[in-house]
Amino acid sequence: MTDQRPFPGIAFRLAGFASAAAIACASAAAAQDTGTVTIGRTSDADRYDPQRSSALAAAEVLYMIGDTLVTLSSDLKTVEPALAESWDISEDGLTYTFHLKEGVTFCDGKAFTAQDVVGSMERWLTPDGPYVSTWKAGTVDSITAPDDMTVVYKLKAPSSGLLYQMAQFNFIIIDPEQAESLGDDFGVTAFNGTGPFCFESWTPNDSVVLSAHEGYSWGSPALGNTGPAKVDRVVWKIVPEEATLAASLQAGEIDASYSLPAWSIAQFDADPSVTLLQPEAAFRTHYLGMKVTRDFMQDIRVREAVSHAIDQSAIAEAIFFGTVEPTESYYAKEALDYDPSIDTAPFAYDPAKTETLLTEAGFTKGDDGFWQKDGTPLTLTYYGFNTSREQAETVQGDLRKAGIELNVELYDSTAIWAKLREQTYDLYQMDYPYLNAGDALNLYFSSASVPSPNRMMWEDEETDRLLEAGNSAVNAEARAEAFMALGKHLHEAILWKPLLLEKPTIAIGPRLVPFEPAGISGAAFGTGLNLELQ
Amino acid sequence: MSDATAFAARGRTWRRLRRNPMMTLALGVLMLITLAAILAPVLTPFDPYETNIRARLKPPGDGHILGTDSQGRDLLTRLLYGARTTLLIGFVGTGFGALLGGTIGLCAAFYRRLDSVLMRIIDVFLSFPSILFGLSLAAMLGPGLDSLIFAVGLSVMPGIARISRGAALSIMAQDYMDSGRAIGLPVQRLLSGYLLANAYPPILTYTTLAFGDAVLLAATLGFLGLGLQPPTAELGSIAAEGRSFLFLAPHVSTAASVLIFVIVLSFNLLGDALRDAGDRRSV
Repeated sequence: MTDQRPFPGIAFRLAGFASAAAIACASAAAAQDTGTVTIGRTSDADRYDPQRSSALAAAEVLYMIGDTLVTLSSDLKTVEPALAESWDISEDGLTYTFHLKEGVTFCDGKAFTAQDVVGSMERWLTPDGPYVSTWKAGTVDSITAPDDMTVVYKLKAPSSGLLYQMAQFNFIIIDPEQAESLGDDFGVTAFNGTGPFCFESWTPNDSVVLSAHEGYSWGSPALGNTGPAKVDRVVWKIVPEEATLAASLQAGEIDASYSLPAWSIAQFDADPSVTLLQPEAAFRTHYLGMKVTRDFMQDIRVREAVSHAIDQSAIAEAIFFGTVEPTESYYAKEALDYDPSIDTAPFAYDPAKTETLLTEAGFTKGDDGFWQKDGTPLTLTYYGFNTSREQAETVQGDLRKAGIELNVELYDSTAIWAKLREQTYDLYQMDYPYLNAGDALNLYFSSASVPSPNRMMWEDEETDRLLEAGNSAVNAEARAEAFMALGKHLHEAILWKPLLLEKPTIAIGPRLVPFEPAGISGAAFGTGLNLELQ
Repeated sequence: MSDATAFAARGRTWRRLRRNPMMTLALGVLMLITLAAILAPVLTPFDPYETNIRARLKPPGDGHILGTDSQGRDLLTRLLYGARTTLLIGFVGTGFGALLGGTIGLCAAFYRRLDSVLMRIIDVFLSFPSILFGLSLAAMLGPGLDSLIFAVGLSVMPGIARISRGAALSIMAQDYMDSGRAIGLPVQRLLSGYLLANAYPPILTYTTLAFGDAVLLAATLGFLGLGLQPPTAELGSIAAEGRSFLFLAPHVSTAASVLIFVIVLSFNLLGDALRDAGDRRSV
């Protein structure tokens, strides 16, 4: 289903927009070729190597030029065949046997075989290599190719989330020989993949040019067009300024983008020449983490009081112009293994309850309207990204109204990661993408992840036990049971204040036919197979 | 120069100043803004920190003379409180810079042996553009009012030190300095009663001009996000905040930028007028 959401109207109309668009128009005078789709975005990746990048900017291009063994249905709940036609899992959940598709070729014409899968995985899992996100592969025992069309993937411990993780872009099959010969230049000067598009050229911080892969026919039927691509070329163009990007779309300089500022999306909703598209499922949750080891925050009543004081729907409506949804759970209710019986009441905006809870916890309200206990004012410290200044100020304003003073410290994206390892703050701002409940739970809550990314400092045996049970489950029922129980347990502990649920919104200009965006990793253009010109 | 002629020159300077309409205007505007900033809590019925996110980015009118900012706060109130912060940084920062720079300059002129050492140090300071200097200092010291003031002060200091040295050197060549020394006056009397008392006009003029630079630097650092942490209002950060909504709500950035412009321009006009009036060569 293609979701074209309505957006609430905003107070007043764009004043200088038309003139900005006119300026952009002039520079777009050189019209594009008929078969080229130009996608605008604000930032570039450092390289296009699926095993050395965790950036969305790399993922969105790599999904077009490479394939994974399996992929996910558009609700992200079912594993679908991709380069692997089918697979068997042993009873003990340790051995996965993949049967590969016949007739698959790389862009340079080389035939795709099981050796390429083994070579890709071996490179990625090299100990002490410069490779990222290797935890997604599970505890691998061995990966072998008994024949050209079969891959045997053996684990040391069962991993209930492995097949879902295998749809992530880090599992994209590369040409191991090319990677070997190019070394550091792999994914920079060239990339030989099996995807629906071929890597043609990359000018860093300007553009990536892809051309259609001739004879491509092995796309997943569950996701629409199986190939070949319906357009000749895709150009990923960097436009660093968000406002300019919005103007470029209006001017027809770019055909589509999902890096647009929220205010412009609200504008485009009223513009008949622009269509807004959202994937059926794509999960990214914005939350405020609470450090349970801090003086005030170790009291669950204070955590709940803080949670009730913050109005997430006002943030969604005002700051994000209604392009995101307010949420009251750590991960989306639509995600696999979410337990619908989780009580989300502690995460609802209800300032009256803040009063009750703080009084219960022994706080008194001073003459200045701020809460205090034994003469110490309830003052909290908040660490956030300097790109989210508005959200921080809104949270600060909400807490101020509830009588809690918040010291806000904002850092840029290079400095914040070190600051977040400190024990000097009570609340921190974060957002994260995930595929399902298991993925979300594994990332943050285990005691092994203290102090980062478990910045809540949540060390709890029950959590570790349920996490282990969920990860080593050999069937879907056991996995769901463990993760559902864990989800409930963690929501009861009030470790986060969930704020927003964000789905990428693609805005497309009049040249493109509306299509269903993809949800995995938030790379909404997916394989690009569904891109089609009018 | 005898005391009598000095007084006459001073009187002439003041008369000339008053005759300069630009100067009167600039001084009036600055006094008005400063007064409004000081009296902000009395002048406006709004709380500068009370957010009302659902009423954000409202255009001027409807109870809010200049509309509301991105958190739904009254923009005029934010600007008044912002001017408070910005002017405070400007005044205290320049004051600190003038004190330090003036002392260095006078000492360099008075103690000739120190001269080359002090001036080479000043050269090092001067070799950095003030914005880069301020940026690195603010980044090093972390955000906060004191570090901003310190950064601004250090950035205006080298210029003032140069000017003071130059002014003091020409006084040092006067006969009365020698006679002061000859009758055995103590060093501090020579420094303050003779040197500073006669060298101050150009220093004062330059310092007034430096006010404008200091305010601009404070606003620039705020604009670049190295200013104060929210919710403190500061003119540069208000302008930066509004920049993301330039198409949607141009009033936020515009109002803040215009206010910065007016303050800086007034300081420059004042400095120019002071310089013209104090110029003894054109009688």
